[in-house]
Amino acid sequence: MATKYKDYYETLGVPRSATQDDIKQAYRKLARKYHPDVSKMADAETRFKEINEANEVLKDPEKRAAYDQMGSNWKAGQDFQPPPNWDAGFEFRGGQGGPFGAGGSFGGAEGFDPSDFFESLFGRRGASPGAGPRRSGSVQGEDHHAKVLIDLEDSYRGAERTISLRAPVETADGRVAMQERTLDVHIPKGIRPGQHLRLAGQGAPGAGGGRTGDLYLEIEFNPHRIFRVEGVDVYVDLPLAPWEAALGATVDVPTPEGTVQLTIPKSSQPGRKLRLKGRGLPGKNPGDLYAVLAIALPKAESDAGRAAYETLAKAFPAFDPRAHLQG
Amino acid sequence: MDGTISSALRGSVVEEEVELTTVELGRACRTSEQQIEVWVHEGVLQPSGATREAWRFRGDSLARMRLATRLMRDLEINSAGVALALDLLDRIAELESRLRR
Repeated sequence: MATKYKDYYETLGVPRSATQDDIKQAYRKLARKYHPDVSKMADAETRFKEINEANEVLKDPEKRAAYDQMGSNWKAGQDFQPPPNWDAGFEFRGGQGGPFGAGGSFGGAEGFDPSDFFESLFGRRGASPGAGPRRSGSVQGEDHHAKVLIDLEDSYRGAERTISLRAPVETADGRVAMQERTLDVHIPKGIRPGQHLRLAGQGAPGAGGGRTGDLYLEIEFNPHRIFRVEGVDVYVDLPLAPWEAALGATVDVPTPEGTVQLTIPKSSQPGRKLRLKGRGLPGKNPGDLYAVLAIALPKAESDAGRAAYETLAKAFPAFDPRAHLQG
Repeated sequence: MDGTISSALRGSVVEEEVELTTVELGRACRTSEQQIEVWVHEGVLQPSGATREAWRFRGDSLARMRLATRLMRDLEINSAGVALALDLLDRIAELESRLRR
């Protein structure tokens, strides 16, 4: 299997001569910066994976020595195949602690998720179905986690999603293989971003008659073109013509359930929020939908348009939009 | 949804329909019961019930515990540090949500 060479030293920004302390320090600093739970950077998740993988190799003196043994002439991104017997004399294919033992590149979202390059060197890790302490007697199977992306409209109506999950299974000859399976899942009406669905008995099988673990699905919403979701409430920006805001009007407002008519009170200012009660995410305590008013100005490009603005200016000789800027 | 019968799996919404025991929470987050006890003492989790055996955790404890576990594992910070990080992340989330409204 041809993969691309990864320069783990470059990833952590340390020289090949770095001490174990240097490596630890560099890793911690980068991990804080790119941790997906903390960082707002768009590529945080990818960067964090790379940093984590580099650390997995370089923090372990034995793995680091094996990696170093391949020489320093490789360039990041170069086609790579491990030399034959490159790992002779090393014993890192045995038991693992840390993230390796965490049992899950399940759904690609959990714990350590090694690249092809890493696997070509150190084998597939953390993929043993029975990872964790093996006790005698019956042991309940592990709970699994995965993320599911839905649309806002799915939460309003309820929906069904077919999801594919990759989970490690032990083959007849004792090796570990990734097995794909699909599940049809009902997405209940009113589910909110960040909430979890628990599917009993859809996790890893138990051992010795222990019961099967559960599957937890974390729900995320795809970003919507016009709606924003905050908790159970939904927000939409609603532009008005100046005369609609000033004189009052009845305008069409899009909601995830279809268009409704909304009465704009006269003298409405931009930024004012008009509430459509109970039209947020549905549920026992349904949320509200807020139309956030904005004012759109037509361009004064025709004679009639310019005349209209001039008339407006004459009608409000005392109007000073910047009065509050004066001390 | 229309009235057709579907074979799709139905789950429970953890944050609304589920209360977790210490054992269930530990299993779902791959964390020991001792560590859960630490989180309770740090004020990160606030179960109902007087004793560890009687503790019941609200469904939203699941996401919080998983976040705490990831931070502890990936950033190598101790429980008190994680508790502080969680408080700060809550405040950031609250401020950002005000900005988006």
